[in-house]
Amino acid sequence: MNTHQAELDARGMNCPLPILKAKKSLSALSAGEVLQIRATDPGSVKDLEAFCLQTGNELLSSSEVDGEFIFLLKKH
Amino acid sequence: MAKRLKATERRASILAVAKVLFADKGYHGVAVDEIASRLGVSPAVLYRHFPSKEALYSEVLDTLAAQRENYVDAALQNPDDFASVLLRITLVFAESVARDPDYLKMELLGSLEDAQVTQQFFESRWKSFTDYIEYSMREQALKDGLLSQINPRVAGLMFQGMVREALYAKCILHSSRYQDIALPDLITQLVKLFLNAITDNNDSKGENKHE
Repeated sequence: MNTHQAELDARGMNCPLPILKAKKSLSALSAGEVLQIRATDPGSVKDLEAFCLQTGNELLSSSEVDGEFIFLLKKH
Repeated sequence: MAKRLKATERRASILAVAKVLFADKGYHGVAVDEIASRLGVSPAVLYRHFPSKEALYSEVLDTLAAQRENYVDAALQNPDDFASVLLRITLVFAESVARDPDYLKMELLGSLEDAQVTQQFFESRWKSFTDYIEYSMREQALKDGLLSQINPRVAGLMFQGMVREALYAKCILHSSRYQDIALPDLITQLVKLFLNAITDNNDSKGENKHE
């Protein structure tokens, strides 16, 4: 089964762009659906935690492989 | 006599003193002896933590580059149009530089001494703005179905130069020329000028009146 319904490629981008794009991508999803975000900015870890805290969306997971960060966000 | 500190505290105090001196005099203007004497320790103590002046300088730069402004609040507030978000994140950045201008001093001093420093500061600070400007201009052009006459990358460069010069004048030079304009007002006016510049272009696109 697919772990997510939508993907956002934010690699190479610095905050706030990944946050703004995440907000836009999530607005197209229904509650309970999951967005996968890929990013390379190390600041994205803190930023997406803060983003979820403020918007009520759930950060299901956050991992790093070879300098690339992968996040799964569940829409509130 | 200098108090005995734990290794981590000593390291942090060396970095703090080195940052102030490097920001004031640049890499070549500071000797290890001067940093040591400012700390009240011998140069040997410094070399125990950092193998060379270069290693210390590089660590100061890394520490500064790793400090990021938190743009999440500014990005999520309403109104969330390009102009409003751009103004809010620029004000967050300006406030941060006003609080600790050493970052900007290091960037300006480093820009002539070491191109890598410029790149490092661009990646950690300015790219937040240029990314957002480039993306938003391209998205707007797609929405309009027309290509802007202004290269978004050039617009990003204009923005960077404009804001950096304003921060230099207000936070480092403390120029009397702009003393009657508070920093947030100066930034607000400059962002407005920038937006006018890229919007005027959009209004006249496709007409090629001046060609």
